[in-house]
Amino acid sequence: MPSYNQLNEKLIEVTLNNEELFAKRGSMISYQGNVSFARSFLGGGNVSDLAMRTATNEGNALMSARGTGKIYYGYNGLFVSLITLANETMYIESENLLAYDGRLRSGTMFLGNQGGIQSMVRGAVSGQGLFTTTLQGSGELALLSDGNAIGLPVSTEQPVFVDPNAYVGHKGNLTSTIVTDVNWKTFVGQASGESYQVKFMGQGTVYIQASER
Amino acid sequence: MTTYNPLNLPKNDNLNRFAFVVDVAEEIFLRKGKMIAYYGDLKFESLGSSLLDILIKNTFNAPAYIHNFVVAKGQGQLILGDSGNDIGCYDLDNANMTVKASNLLGFSKDVICQESTLPGYLTMLGSGKIFVSSNGPVHFLELPCRVDEQAVLGWADCPSPSYRYDYAHVTGVMSMVGAVTGITLSGEEKQVDFTGAGTVLIQSSELGLKSSSILAHIIAQLPFLNRSELTSVSGAITQNSRT
Amino acid sequence: MSSFKINSDRLLEVGLQNEKVMAIAGSMVAYTGSMKFEKSILGGEGFFGALKRKVTNEGMSLMQTTGTGTVYFAQNAAEIAVIPLAGEKIFIESSSLLAYDIALKTNTTFAGLRGAASGQGLFTSTVEGTGNIAVISRGNLITLEVNPKYPLFVDPQAFIGYKGAIQQEFIFDVNWRTMVGQSSGESYQLKFTGQGLVYIQPAER
Repeated sequence: MPSYNQLNEKLIEVTLNNEELFAKRGSMISYQGNVSFARSFLGGGNVSDLAMRTATNEGNALMSARGTGKIYYGYNGLFVSLITLANETMYIESENLLAYDGRLRSGTMFLGNQGGIQSMVRGAVSGQGLFTTTLQGSGELALLSDGNAIGLPVSTEQPVFVDPNAYVGHKGNLTSTIVTDVNWKTFVGQASGESYQVKFMGQGTVYIQASER
Repeated sequence: MTTYNPLNLPKNDNLNRFAFVVDVAEEIFLRKGKMIAYYGDLKFESLGSSLLDILIKNTFNAPAYIHNFVVAKGQGQLILGDSGNDIGCYDLDNANMTVKASNLLGFSKDVICQESTLPGYLTMLGSGKIFVSSNGPVHFLELPCRVDEQAVLGWADCPSPSYRYDYAHVTGVMSMVGAVTGITLSGEEKQVDFTGAGTVLIQSSELGLKSSSILAHIIAQLPFLNRSELTSVSGAITQNSRT
Repeated sequence: MSSFKINSDRLLEVGLQNEKVMAIAGSMVAYTGSMKFEKSILGGEGFFGALKRKVTNEGMSLMQTTGTGTVYFAQNAAEIAVIPLAGEKIFIESSSLLAYDIALKTNTTFAGLRGAASGQGLFTSTVEGTGNIAVISRGNLITLEVNPKYPLFVDPQAFIGYKGAIQQEFIFDVNWRTMVGQSSGESYQLKFTGQGLVYIQPAER
């Protein structure tokens, strides 16, 4: 199994033992050993996901790394966080996904499934696209964020409200709804306006970054 | 939060990741614009003034970069900072180290600075201290290794690297859907190959340094321009964007 | 009183118990509990404060957060520092202020020539009273002491604020200008004398 090691907040080291890993194109900083890189279109998912992704311009260009050696990944000076999944599903904005290995199954999820028309609005308005990437199973993945990413626990008694521009992903059994607050809308001062928040309920963790996109 | 004063400031050491304190007692060469604050009595002079000719001849043998550096002299504690980039200090002990020119912040007067045969890099020789800034913390790698060119910060005690082209995967793509998705170079295709012994310094990102001081200056001056001057600025911007 | 806590350098966590906190509009990234957000025109200092701000174009767009729970604030992945005030007055660049306790009083003062060349406003903000303020900076905030024995020289673009019995002078020095080299800006330094603390960031604006 590939082992992940966080060297500093912007760089991770992955050790491969004749295995395969998928990572964001252009994020390979350096490597040692016998590794070959190839463009990966499926990224561990299936053809229908590929078709959906191309159609929706998910822009998640992936490279697969195969072989034995150590690879160093980082991207644009963004912060990297390692997240471990224990037979769970992680929803993550594709632009925030740095690397994951073959243990996890990737897919594309239409945001509309998770909350109806409101979610569709969320995607269109915040410019993040209508689809998000899902990773399922047990294994590790590396998340990118502008500034460090914080995981906020969500419990049934305590829902969490999040600025959609600070949202990077979530895992667990969560439902999301759009909350529009008339008072909230009064802060528009920015072009696209932050006129809504996303409310997460259930049991799981929401990841936010310390900045707005 | 610690309150610092000249008595408790670290000497020639990092204050935090982004700030470095130089205990100035003899001359040091510094890159312009990276000084944040200082205590004491310091004077800064640009290189190229005749009094410093002797100094330049001995240590600064990289004429293309002279105007980027100044000499600081006097007695005091000087705090260096570089737009939120990490700053590190390396001690050279009769050794050699090559660093990317844009990342070199300063060096002590006994270090010799020359242009590397690889464009854009400076080779530092001799003994003394070198101050280097980087986008994200620096990581040291042992040879042999291959690195994305933009992530290379420098190397020490090893022969000059060579470029390696890894297009093995590109042909595969061409026969698939390459035409649809388009091919652009990323760090995986052109790598910098280091062979031999020594150490390589890499940044934690392929980005250049965060640097907004030029931009901030330009933007700050704009309100003082009249309409025709703004038009010529606009023309200059279009011309520079074409390159 | 609300509690101000830093979470991993770049996120400010404010705990409110049916209390209020003032923050820069748009800096909220998440919250738990029940909160109300309102645009604040006055900024806690009355009608004349608002008028002064309009005239000086200080551009501090604020929001008032009221409720019970925890609110998380952040701004462009900048580092955040919490400065507690105990019946004191702090002078601070308005663009560096992130959030402050509602109990504190804010005002604007004339900062002198400093603004024109470095692109900062001609005016600076003051915050006074007892409570917490949160300041953003590029790179961790550094606190330097000023004392009659050791005056301090600072690059105006790294300057964030000061408190105490401090006098600020502008030093126009030909040699200093050589430190810039790129364009004509920043042809002066700030010199601080007296007794107090100066806050700087390890970066230029």
